[in-house]
Amino acid sequence: MKRIAPIDIIGGIIVVAILAAIPAVTGSNYLTGVLTVCVIYGIWASSWDFMSGLTGRENFGHSLFIGAGAYTAGFLSSLWAANPWYSLPLAVVVAVAFAVLVGFPTLRLRGPYFALAMLSTSAILQRLCLIFWEYTGGEEGIYGLDPLMKSPLYYYWFALGILVITVIVLTLLARSHWGLLLRAIRGDEATCQAAGINVTFYKIVSLMISAAFAGLGGALYAHYQLQVSPPLFSVIVSITVIIMVYVGGIGSIYGAAVAAILLTLLTEMLRGFGEYRLWIYTLTLMLILFFLPNGLIAPLWRRMTERLR
Amino acid sequence: MLQILIYGAVSSAIYAMLAVGFTLIFGVARILNLAHGAFYALGAYSAYVFTSLLGFPLLIAAPLAVLLVAGFGVLMERFLVRPLRSSQLAVLMITLAVSLAVEQALFITFGSEYRNVPSFVADKLTIGGVDIGGQRLLALVMGVLVLLLLWLFIQRTRLGAAILAVSQDPEAAQYMGIPTNRIFSIVMAISAGTAALAGILVSPFLTVQPTMGLLPMVKAFAIVIVGGLGSIPGSIIASLILGYSETIVAYLISTSWTELVSLVAVVVTLMIRPAGILGRRAAF
Repeated sequence: MKRIAPIDIIGGIIVVAILAAIPAVTGSNYLTGVLTVCVIYGIWASSWDFMSGLTGRENFGHSLFIGAGAYTAGFLSSLWAANPWYSLPLAVVVAVAFAVLVGFPTLRLRGPYFALAMLSTSAILQRLCLIFWEYTGGEEGIYGLDPLMKSPLYYYWFALGILVITVIVLTLLARSHWGLLLRAIRGDEATCQAAGINVTFYKIVSLMISAAFAGLGGALYAHYQLQVSPPLFSVIVSITVIIMVYVGGIGSIYGAAVAAILLTLLTEMLRGFGEYRLWIYTLTLMLILFFLPNGLIAPLWRRMTERLR
Repeated sequence: MLQILIYGAVSSAIYAMLAVGFTLIFGVARILNLAHGAFYALGAYSAYVFTSLLGFPLLIAAPLAVLLVAGFGVLMERFLVRPLRSSQLAVLMITLAVSLAVEQALFITFGSEYRNVPSFVADKLTIGGVDIGGQRLLALVMGVLVLLLLWLFIQRTRLGAAILAVSQDPEAAQYMGIPTNRIFSIVMAISAGTAALAGILVSPFLTVQPTMGLLPMVKAFAIVIVGGLGSIPGSIIASLILGYSETIVAYLISTSWTELVSLVAVVVTLMIRPAGILGRRAAF
């Protein structure tokens, strides 16, 4: 695929430097916390974008992988009192296992079927968490996870580092031969199959990659909140992530990450509106669907830097 | 045994009412309406507002609530869905946005506590030694009636023929002088209306709260997958299968396991016969 333009790299470095510097300069613990959540949402959004943005198979149940990762961390750290550092790799493994389990029956399906199958799987998993409350803690969830690091600032930098790695890895993959194949599948699956491409294999592996980062983000989130609860599986989480990718510009990955950070900051600023927050989210979504079908962040960045490429 | 037979029939009827509307709007207009559960919740809440807050008798409140929700559905289709119909994802997103907006609006207006809607029939009946609430029986009767009427309407009237024509080939139907867009509006009204009716009928014996629509919608979706997306007879058969297997599971194992039935049904269907029992087009 295309070479990455120098201006993109410079822009990326500047954004990351600013993000890393803000909490250190202001020294506000509150801001550090908010930014940690922003960064984790960035991981979720870019991982969604890799699978669904490239192949055009919209995953309406990304919260399945997020929740799986988070609950893995919860069980490990709180119930079995394992070293919290084990939970990150294990969360990845569990999320990937879920991707394989769910992907095989559902990924052969056409667009809307896949979207709905994922949506209901995550909804049912949320119910299962409530049904098996003896093990999962029911509505309350699991409390008392061990933090990965003592200092919130270091933890934020750690999460930011993982976001940077996520975006770099996914962007390189998306720009490789592999990404080209995924885009081709979005264009015309039947033709790809006729050309001898094992479409199902590529789709399932990209879902596994997507799930791996989502699960990692879920575990990071669990160790930030120090608790996990069923709403992590909720449709709202999936939708929030999809809205972020939409705003960022589908298929761009970095756009999804930036949009996730900005939108999470926005909702944090809107906290004063209390229960109206979701309204504002819904409204943003409707406006973008109607007026900016290509999203906001990635198209804007491309236009701003057009001359520098 | 008889208990399973009766209770299974009641839940099948309710599922069928939900699933038929969901499959109809997809079969005719290719709209996968994620706001279907919101219509169900809106139906229950409108009935609550009309009866408990405005003091209308239930017999007036129920049709009013159905009309209100049907109108809401038509407006949603006309102004939100239709401009975006070219992209399936955009339709999914916008209907989902509507359903979230409705859920939040209900939450903000009524709070998260459970609301009560009065029953049409308060008496308990005993059939062959099985006690059953009159309201459940009414839901069963109304469900069967609605499905029969809908079947007669589609098979026996000119408008029904037009709906069938559009579902087979919208473009050809348009050439034959069928106003496709108006058909979409009518089908949306029927779909939203039946969902609302289902919501009103179950509201006396189930909990009425803002998120009440999500799970029935997931069930409706499961039924529609099992029965075949776009096929009305298929979704009725699938409603019976799911309604009865859930009731049986509830009796034999525990009510908390019923949620798993629809998941297993969906997975098995997708693996063995992705088109569903009576679906014409394969799902992949």
